[in-house]
Amino acid sequence: MTVYSFYIFDRHAECIYKRRWLPRPASIAGKSGQSATPAISAGGGQTVRATDDDSKLVFGTVFSLRNMVRKLGGDDDNFVAFNTSQYKLHYYETPTNIKFVMLTDTKSPSMRIALQQIYINLYVEYVVKNPLSPVEHPGGVGVNNELFEESLEQFVTRVLS
Amino acid sequence: MAAPPRHSAMLSMNSAVATPQPMPGDMSQGPPQSLTPQPSQGLRVPSNRKTIYDRHLNRSRNAELSRASFAYLFAEMVTYAQRRVTGIQDLEKRLNEQGYPLGLRLLDLLFYRTTTTSSSALSSSSTSSSPPNRPLRILTLLHLIHGPLWRLLFGRSADALEHSVSPDTPNEYMITDNDPLVNAYISVPREMNQLNCAAFVAGIIEGVCDGCGFEAKVSAHNQPTEMWPSRTVFLLSFGESVMEREKVLERSGIK
Amino acid sequence: MSSSKASRIGEETRIDKVNAELVTLTYGTIVAQLCQDYDSDYQEVNKQLDKMGYNIGMRLIEDFLAKSGVGRCANFRETADMIAKVGFKIFLNVAPTVTNWTSDNNQFSLIFDENPLADFVELPDDGRAQDELWFSNILCGVLRGALEMVQMQIEAHFVSDILRGDDTTEMRVSLVRYIEDEMPPEEE
Repeated sequence: MTVYSFYIFDRHAECIYKRRWLPRPASIAGKSGQSATPAISAGGGQTVRATDDDSKLVFGTVFSLRNMVRKLGGDDDNFVAFNTSQYKLHYYETPTNIKFVMLTDTKSPSMRIALQQIYINLYVEYVVKNPLSPVEHPGGVGVNNELFEESLEQFVTRVLS
Repeated sequence: MAAPPRHSAMLSMNSAVATPQPMPGDMSQGPPQSLTPQPSQGLRVPSNRKTIYDRHLNRSRNAELSRASFAYLFAEMVTYAQRRVTGIQDLEKRLNEQGYPLGLRLLDLLFYRTTTTSSSALSSSSTSSSPPNRPLRILTLLHLIHGPLWRLLFGRSADALEHSVSPDTPNEYMITDNDPLVNAYISVPREMNQLNCAAFVAGIIEGVCDGCGFEAKVSAHNQPTEMWPSRTVFLLSFGESVMEREKVLERSGIK
Repeated sequence: MSSSKASRIGEETRIDKVNAELVTLTYGTIVAQLCQDYDSDYQEVNKQLDKMGYNIGMRLIEDFLAKSGVGRCANFRETADMIAKVGFKIFLNVAPTVTNWTSDNNQFSLIFDENPLADFVELPDDGRAQDELWFSNILCGVLRGALEMVQMQIEAHFVSDILRGDDTTEMRVSLVRYIEDEMPPEEE
């Protein structure tokens, strides 16, 4: 299974963390000329501007879907994931309105537990409990600390793949 | 304790980091959680007499609380201190100053508990007049810190206790904690990599030393290893008067 | 959720522990430092403690949710039970009594039999502290910050404290409003 990207949105609807993983050269070689991260790299340009827009797009999508799901299925219903022909988007939201989003290949099993674990074991431990990290994270400040990023990297590369 | 000396590294750090000299006057300002009761007429007490004097001092001895609660309080302490300082050294100084009174109080508590346990073993009221085991020599003091103090605070002994082997600094001792509780949730940003929030614990140690009559400066230093990324060495430098007294006691054979 | 179920979650949630005295004494040094920094202006100390608590609450709620695995509460009464029997149980190992509800179910009191923050504490005998300082005021801020994160704006204050010579320690909590989801800023 391949993880393409990962986003965290806070209760103010701001993207406070995003990360992309490019597939290892070996796995890319087997594929056709497909873009490695189909959901994201529009024209391959990895400019800051482009990723900024991506995260807004992702937020808008999950926000609408979650609201729609609650309207149709009741307040206790949850939006969990959706599939396209290119990727699968996984969603986990905490009662504090923090939203975790992960994009993987289409064959991936449900990442809901994995996202919950990232919340419980990485985000809470290394971002929330870090005294040097601010309480809220405008512009992502405090989320991008070494402990969090390294453990996220390990989790994604060793546990998930 | 057989670990190789690191005194050369310690020396350079020692000159780089200034430890504050807490003012004894601070103590008399009466922080609210006084361990030594002074009879006061002015304070109101609840009719059910739930006051500190009516409850046993050992009541909370083995009590435990959430480690997260401690982490949050400590985090707020660091954040609050950060608002009022100009740099890393200043921040460490503040944290040290906040730990200091805690050290003085813990010392009372430690003595109280070590004496009550030993006298209850003898179960004789006549021995209650025997003085508590107040350390007279540096090594006894260091063992008190390395063992009982660490166990009271962190539930285990410290990981190492060393003496500087440099002939220039016989007054320097190192206590090592491989994984300090206070640093458990702290990810120090690169630009602040000198910062060690265990300066708070250094302040506690300093309070204990001063409370025992061993004037000392204590500072916390990052000494990470592969296995222990937040390994911290507490450097204790005793004052000249302490070293002189130590020599006299040595000659008179006092342990 | 029934209040007995809340009690069970509070009892059963496993957490890492530290020596209680380390927490008590650390909190004591925080209050003492504030009293010193603000020249025993206790009103200001109360305010600062509330602010610190607010910051803590905003973090602590994440930890609370992560550890306890509880979801949203159906109403404010359930919230009160959750605070008293799960929140306080996990973080302070006490379970204050929930009582004195108003008829609209928007206000209640927490009565504390035990308060680990105040172990070892005697307020300064300066003729003012017992009338002005709410030693444990940080807890009001914690509730305010924590509940704001789960979309409830509340107001909390102490109305009595054993440290002031009162027979009980009581905190009053009022629901102000539920907070709506925030929307992303409009595209410019």
